[in-house]
Amino acid sequence: MPIHEKSLIRPENILSHEKLEVDGVDVSGHWSTFIQDRVVTDYNENMEDEIAALPGGEHIHRCWQCGSCTNACTVNALNPDFNPRYWIYLIRQGMESELLRDKDIIWQCVSCHKCTHVCPRDVVPEGVMKATAHWLELKGHRPKSHSMIFDEVFSEQVFETGKIEDGRVIRGFFKRTGQALTQDWMVEMVKKVVSKLPVSLMTRMGMSALIRPRTRHWGPAREAIREYVDEQKQRERAALGLNELVAQAAAEARSAGAKQESSHV
Amino acid sequence: MEKPILVVGGGPAGLAAAHALGGLGRQCILVEKEDRLGGAPILSGYHKLVPSGEYAKDAIGGMVERVIANENVTVHTSSTVSRFEGEPGRFSVDIEGGGTVEVESAILCTGFTHFDALNKPEWGFGTYPDVVSTTQVEQMMSSGQGIRCPSDGRKPKRVAILLCVGSRDRQIGREWCSKICCTVSANMAMEIREELPDCHVYIYYMDIRTFGLYETKFYWRSQEEFKVKYIKARIAEVTSDGERLIVKGEDTLVKRPITIPFDMVVHAIGMDPNVDNARIAQTFGVQLERHGYIGEGHSYGALGHTSRPGVYVAGSATGPETIDDSIAQGTAAAMSAVARHSSAA
Repeated sequence: MPIHEKSLIRPENILSHEKLEVDGVDVSGHWSTFIQDRVVTDYNENMEDEIAALPGGEHIHRCWQCGSCTNACTVNALNPDFNPRYWIYLIRQGMESELLRDKDIIWQCVSCHKCTHVCPRDVVPEGVMKATAHWLELKGHRPKSHSMIFDEVFSEQVFETGKIEDGRVIRGFFKRTGQALTQDWMVEMVKKVVSKLPVSLMTRMGMSALIRPRTRHWGPAREAIREYVDEQKQRERAALGLNELVAQAAAEARSAGAKQESSHV
Repeated sequence: MEKPILVVGGGPAGLAAAHALGGLGRQCILVEKEDRLGGAPILSGYHKLVPSGEYAKDAIGGMVERVIANENVTVHTSSTVSRFEGEPGRFSVDIEGGGTVEVESAILCTGFTHFDALNKPEWGFGTYPDVVSTTQVEQMMSSGQGIRCPSDGRKPKRVAILLCVGSRDRQIGREWCSKICCTVSANMAMEIREELPDCHVYIYYMDIRTFGLYETKFYWRSQEEFKVKYIKARIAEVTSDGERLIVKGEDTLVKRPITIPFDMVVHAIGMDPNVDNARIAQTFGVQLERHGYIGEGHSYGALGHTSRPGVYVAGSATGPETIDDSIAQGTAAAMSAVARHSSAA
């Protein structure tokens, strides 16, 4: 729905119950419809800084809300709810609850970079979309996306061995996303590859699947990469205040555990 | 012999008119109701003026000194005009404490009255001590006290500035835009952020009217350099949860109701017609326009005509006006008054 036609009542906020009794009054059925509270009760004043701390979000502060990004957007043409300008506005104003309403479509950015090219302020809206999707995952508002899982499987293997073994990447990806390894299209593809590929190449592929080759003397590079990646992740978590949250949760769990133990005694 | 010209009111417009008349070698009688010259910027203790950034006490104070030092200007403070009769060129005037004099013409520079936010009770002024007016914040800054919540003296962590308090509000008979409050508020927001970098400042607006060149220096600069947040909203009510103030209303861009906690709420109060305008109009025999300001004729012939020949008007007596334009109009009205009688003679 175009933003100027936005309804005050979102369909997901309308509640009606087949059978419901409130304080002895029967409020079942469609004639007794409830609408969920839509009040904004606070601003998250850290939000812009948090997005800016993630890769791609660095230039969000430059935005002056011209709307060129949304106008140029490939996805917006298909789904008018996909509105990068609006999301940048919400992030900068700290309107977290309003942004979260769109959490399930923000990841749909196809990275065509049309917005990047039209933006007069070099905000790099594509990067902001990436950072926002990442933020949603880190904060636990969204499950890890398939593309994120693929990236992880892929990069873990590169970090580990210095090489990419396609079969292993695909197996790992399917396993972590709960997909069956033998999918029709997969079987079909393998059959065709097998029938066309020279025997020597086939042998090498088979061997690498079994012996997991590594880049020679990869150890020091692996350590350096791991160190760098850990550093970056640590920095992101700190910027989003996730370390404090984890520490707090752990402390709470400990004290709860201690209480339980003492009550047993 | 040329008679003196009467200037009523010693604010920016009156000071400019008196200075211009004195500079032209004309005798000028300046009558000021309060006990000192300077008008609203001095009497209400403004801090830094827009757009110059000069301290009011220096900028307007300088104008006051200049007028006092001018030997052609006779100043009567704590004084009003009780009678004004006659024809252009020879008006007879009773000045309280200044006797009866004859003047050639008069320039009314009687200014405005700050809107009293008590007339907007739903926005909490007068109910909650931490709801203050822009004038009070100006005084917090100009006195050197700094931005503090009046209730307990703490430094606010979050401040809301509500625009159009007593302006553009037909509900309470204030249909006019007070013109300068947007710019003043943007400037004030930057000053708050400068003094208290940890304090977030939100400006609630229906439209932002930082007109002309103020757009760059105040509207954009406040956002881009000072991270002031502008929220388009209609504010319904300012209330309290017992600890903090709660601003209730509707965010009209996001299209959702809001109830946001704040430490301090500032009313950007508008400019009402001078509360004495009915009496001023009667004394000087001039007509008020429909909102209650002193009616002003077209500017194409000469600036600052009222409905009565020989009586001129300048500054915010004619409607909400900036300090710079009040000064320009005061100077222009002096020119109108002098030119008319020079050609008549």
